[in-house]
Amino acid sequence: MIRRLLPALLLVLAACGGIATEESAVPNSNDRPGLSTTTPTVQTLGEDSVGEPAVDEDAVSEIAERTRPLGSALLSPLPAPASQPIGLVVESLGISSAPIIDVGVESNGEMEIPGATEIGWYRFGPTPGDPGSAVLAAHIAFNGRDGVFRDLDEIEVGAIVEVAYEDGSSKRFRVTEIAQYAKDELPVGRVFAKEGTPELTLITCGGDFNRSLRSYSNNVVAVAEPIDD
Amino acid sequence: MKKLITLLTAALVMAALAVPVSAQEEARIHLIHGIPDTPVDVVAGGDVVFGDFQFGDTQDLSALAGQTLVGLQVRLAGTETVAIDAGDTALPASGNYTIVAHLNAEGVPTLAVFENDTSSIDAGEGRLIVRHTAQAPAVDVKANGAVAFADLTNPNSVQADLPVGTISAEVVPADADEPVVIGPVDLPIEDGSALIVYAVGSLDAGSVTALTESITGLGTAPTAVNTGNSPVGTSVPVWAAGLGALLLVAVVAGRRSVVEVRS
Repeated sequence: MIRRLLPALLLVLAACGGIATEESAVPNSNDRPGLSTTTPTVQTLGEDSVGEPAVDEDAVSEIAERTRPLGSALLSPLPAPASQPIGLVVESLGISSAPIIDVGVESNGEMEIPGATEIGWYRFGPTPGDPGSAVLAAHIAFNGRDGVFRDLDEIEVGAIVEVAYEDGSSKRFRVTEIAQYAKDELPVGRVFAKEGTPELTLITCGGDFNRSLRSYSNNVVAVAEPIDD
Repeated sequence: MKKLITLLTAALVMAALAVPVSAQEEARIHLIHGIPDTPVDVVAGGDVVFGDFQFGDTQDLSALAGQTLVGLQVRLAGTETVAIDAGDTALPASGNYTIVAHLNAEGVPTLAVFENDTSSIDAGEGRLIVRHTAQAPAVDVKANGAVAFADLTNPNSVQADLPVGTISAEVVPADADEPVVIGPVDLPIEDGSALIVYAVGSLDAGSVTALTESITGLGTAPTAVNTGNSPVGTSVPVWAAGLGALLLVAVVAGRRSVVEVRS
């Protein structure tokens, strides 16, 4: 990639005289499969030709202004992990205390969903209340049993959702948005966002049930924001 | 001739500053100071661009992507003593790079440029990248007690995508268990993030330690949320039956009217 810059620079520098291009060539030190080794290169151009660098003063100050410190790269102790959500209360839907378990992804790339009686928290995303979208998903119906989120499509804007955490604390959220998406149009980038405004995203299925595919046409999505209290 | 050089040099710098904004936005270039106990000034064109740069600190050079730093030097802070004379240095116009001021295997200060792998990472995994930039011979990197990366030499980089979690890492001499050069340290493997660990310092001076850098936003979101494989029934939700007796009582009490109608 640096190489693409070279021809133009070489042309200009050639007028100045000597050109020294250094490249550290280090043999691949690791031939273990699955691990790759990259060889860094330091490009040093015209080292001998610019004895007394003379530069536009404005350019130098602009360089200085446009770099910025990012703090220390020194190793620091790991922060304590956020407490995991373990229970959900949505009084307006009659969910008085549904257990939450942490889930990941299936081998086909879909979010892992627990059985009918539990809610899955996507553990690779944020904890509810932290920046980004914390996802809680549960079945509308599973293997002939109604699921925890059977009535999620009836939730209303303003409804209060309360999450209980492993450490005994709890946090309340207020529903701000309700939407249905065709399954293949679920905005997974937003739903699973790891950064940005703290949101709690509740998801289940909805729309039409296709008996031959044993699948619903839509996703029902309710987004809630934390309440300061 | 000197006049010509002056003009050309100035022209180079000015041309470089005119790089399109779009190109700069694509680039991410960090400079890390990886030489312990050595505060430095970074000099371009004979002037200090940023001074008193401390070991372990990181400077964001992204806004300079595509530019040429004329006569780039790293000097001992507040002095004219040149620690690294890099000459005219063209920064990449796009891509993700880290430049490390470090000691080579012989203990001589130098710059290494590493291109960071920002390819997407599978959901549930994070990327661990380990770079040998210390005055030290070849090393093995152990993860949770087993050698994960063998025979890593300065200035090379190895990497692997690993399941999310915390690993205990140790750096030891290649093909030996002792003495431990770094660690054990706990490293977080986070979903969709690359954690880059630099071994820096001097083995002879006893100053070998680790620096870290992370790149986020490389993850893959789940592709779908499938939360139903049967039609909705008409009963009180069965999930309530799976809860404890106390909860069940509470639920039934709360839904008394419904229960009465159905019974």
